[in-house]
Amino acid sequence: MNKINASTKTVLHAQNIRKSFGTRGNVQQVLKGIDLRVAEGEFVGIMGASGAGKTTLLNVLATIDRTTDGTILIDDADISRMKDKQLSAFRRDKLGFIFQDYNLLDTLTVKENILLPVSLGTMPKKVAEAEFNTIADILGIKEHANKYPHEISGGQKQRTSAARALINQPSMVFADEPTGALDSKSASSLLGTLEDVNKKQGVTIMMVTHDPLASSYCSRVVFLKDGMVYSELYKGDQTRQAFFQEILKVQGVLGGDSVDTI
Amino acid sequence: MLTLFDLVIRSMRKNIKHYYLYFFALIFSVVLYFVFATLQHDPAVIARSGGRMGSAFMAAGVLLLVIAGIFVVYANAIFLNRRSREIGLYQLIGLTKRTVSRLLIIENVLLGIGALVVGIGVGVLVSRLFLLLLMKLVGFEGFVALTFSGIAVLQTAIVFIVLITLTSLQMLVVVRRNSLLSLFNADQAGEHPKQPKPVQSAILSVLGIALIVFGYWLSGRMLNEWLLINMLAVLFTTILGTYLIFRVTIGWLFYQIRQRKEGHLGLKDSLSLAPLMHRLKGNANSLTIITVLSAMTLTMVAGAYSMYYSAETTARASKPFDMIFLNDETEESFGEEFALELEEEEGIEFNRHKIEVLQTAATFDVSIPYWQETRDSTPMVVVLSGDQLHAAGQNVEIPGNDTAVFYEPSLYYELNHNELPATLTVIENGQETPLQVTSVENGAVMDSIVGFRQVIVNQQTFEQLKERMRQGAEGAWNPVVDTFQVPDKEQRIKASEIFQQEKYRSGDFGYISDYVTYYGSIMETNGLLIFIAGFLGLVFLISTGSILYFKQMTEAEQEKQSYATLRQLGFTVQDIMRGIMRKQLFVFGIPLLLGLLHSIFAIKAASFLFMTDVTVPTTIAMSVYAIIYFVFAFLTIGYYRKTVKAAL
Repeated sequence: MNKINASTKTVLHAQNIRKSFGTRGNVQQVLKGIDLRVAEGEFVGIMGASGAGKTTLLNVLATIDRTTDGTILIDDADISRMKDKQLSAFRRDKLGFIFQDYNLLDTLTVKENILLPVSLGTMPKKVAEAEFNTIADILGIKEHANKYPHEISGGQKQRTSAARALINQPSMVFADEPTGALDSKSASSLLGTLEDVNKKQGVTIMMVTHDPLASSYCSRVVFLKDGMVYSELYKGDQTRQAFFQEILKVQGVLGGDSVDTI
Repeated sequence: MLTLFDLVIRSMRKNIKHYYLYFFALIFSVVLYFVFATLQHDPAVIARSGGRMGSAFMAAGVLLLVIAGIFVVYANAIFLNRRSREIGLYQLIGLTKRTVSRLLIIENVLLGIGALVVGIGVGVLVSRLFLLLLMKLVGFEGFVALTFSGIAVLQTAIVFIVLITLTSLQMLVVVRRNSLLSLFNADQAGEHPKQPKPVQSAILSVLGIALIVFGYWLSGRMLNEWLLINMLAVLFTTILGTYLIFRVTIGWLFYQIRQRKEGHLGLKDSLSLAPLMHRLKGNANSLTIITVLSAMTLTMVAGAYSMYYSAETTARASKPFDMIFLNDETEESFGEEFALELEEEEGIEFNRHKIEVLQTAATFDVSIPYWQETRDSTPMVVVLSGDQLHAAGQNVEIPGNDTAVFYEPSLYYELNHNELPATLTVIENGQETPLQVTSVENGAVMDSIVGFRQVIVNQQTFEQLKERMRQGAEGAWNPVVDTFQVPDKEQRIKASEIFQQEKYRSGDFGYISDYVTYYGSIMETNGLLIFIAGFLGLVFLISTGSILYFKQMTEAEQEKQSYATLRQLGFTVQDIMRGIMRKQLFVFGIPLLLGLLHSIFAIKAASFLFMTDVTVPTTIAMSVYAIIYFVFAFLTIGYYRKTVKAAL
């Protein structure tokens, strides 16, 4: 199952993840024992029909939600045993987030939003400034640095959100439907940039999406069904178009989001 | 089939979180108004005070009504804003505007009646407490019975039915005027900060501060013929300055700070500076009103408390002696008779001294306009011997030959004391005697019935003046005052009762009030004053505090998403709360600080009303105010903490 080069470091290792919601008598199991290993530098897509547990899995892996059972190691740290306060610090230092609705603070400018994750930290102002310049250049939002979120487009907002996720050089970036609110042109442009960042900077990314086109930018796609891993696809050396076709095929078998495939 | 009434009940049950805020505001207003109406109509209060208390209550009642009205309408506006999405939703699913209005109005009437019933119930319970407090403050010691007042219930009911009608109308207007879209977007109705125009903002920012400083400066120099204009100018400049500070200065300063940070804002500032800048325009009006209201309340409460606090000194300043008789022949015998009665019948210890008084014309060469103006009709002063006063136990300075100490309350405040010594020319019988006035003092050394401009000289000078007057014209007045001091407090009260007897009242000067009686009447007036000031102050304070709390509650709801994002990014509740506390420090702190400053200068300007140094009572009153005020800040922070905790 593991085709990754043995010398590559494992960033995330989840074992037998279970998650149930509801109280006694009305328990609904959303994640039914998921094992997942993500190596450094991977760009993993998580796909599945609505209700398959995609977002729940992401929340659990990203330490926003807690598991009912199972262990999760990120950077060899067992996050399932951490206290809330430790988890917060862990998120701030090691993780980056990109959300579907951007979740920018509209009282802050683009630059202030991007620098937010390092605002408490120990990063000296000069280093933070240099980091900002690098990332803003890559994401092409430097000229908008002093604008407020309401003054820029959706694509630019999502780039800002991505820059914010990258500023603290996280071990891993989690993206929840990052293209969900974007038009197709902005979406491909953002995905291209993410792919770029992944390849050139070696940033590990995990992205939840239901869009096969979006997941075709990934290096690996994991399919969920009813709270379990259904199958996996590796891009390997194929072109994005070929990978896209392959994803479509699996999705066809999987059913669910079949409307998307037409 | 769901009837409209069912829908009302359901939505009320679901919205209880929003309702309780508005409900509380209503109940609170009802309780206070009812208590006030009860006291106003209470037979004990009316009997105790006659018309004086009645009219004071009436005026305060109107003020209370205005504040309660503004408060309820404001709370209703916030409440409606928070429910705008729900109102929009009803319209979206096809209810007509008329039906939605009817739904809201039924709710409002139900709430209003509920608040009225609960409020009057609570009011009945607490009004006795307030009555006892009032009676204690005015110095009434005896049994206080409280009768249930039907008129008060009726009055309260009428007032609040009018208020409910008003808020119902307000709802009608909101539903009618707003489009569906605006109802849905009301949540995001924050404005976006614009870059201030550099020159204009800088000028206005400085102007705001300058206006306030000028107002403060002027407030210390108001006592001249332009008094009324000065007062209006002080009010105008400080209020305008306050508005400019909230509207421009703070925003401008914040903008400068933010510019300097170059994007490295930090979490604390992201949660305080940035959202404050975002809402500056919307908040400027309410913060100005809250500041002015706070300043008014603080001044009123601190002033009334200072009056109450300095009542004894005030009484002593007009009544240096416990009882006096003036010397015409019948009263001469009154003095003897009174002394005898005190001594033999009651065994009261007392000191009796006779003090001579000379009334004469005088001019004073200082630059106080009214002294110069009246030079044609020369002002009259009374001259007393410092030695005689000293012998009678008054702690006065005995001047040297041809010098004098001048007691004149209004001159004391208007005179530039650096002009002293100045020459007071006493005109006797056409002969002018210049006296060097070494100091001008506040208060009096003799009961003001003899005249309130009192000049103290030594015995030798006094004899000379008296001699000169004796030679002089008719109509010269040289009475002897028969003074009594009773050192023991209990005995003094007893002596006062004896003095009150009808037989001592038939002198040429009629009835001269004694110290104990005078002090009692001052306490009564000041007790009433402090009660009304305290009551209104409490209402103002709770209204302003609640409005700030309600506003912050709304802001917390609107910023919920930001807190969720921040927590996802890995900031702890404590990290976020630190920023929020800084914001609250601004929101609550700046109006309080400015209000305190305003009122300190107002009290200073009005210091001529008090005979003593009022630093202590003012500090106490202001501290109490600040403490109650900060309760609201803590409530607000508590609400934010709940919101931030629940955000993730």
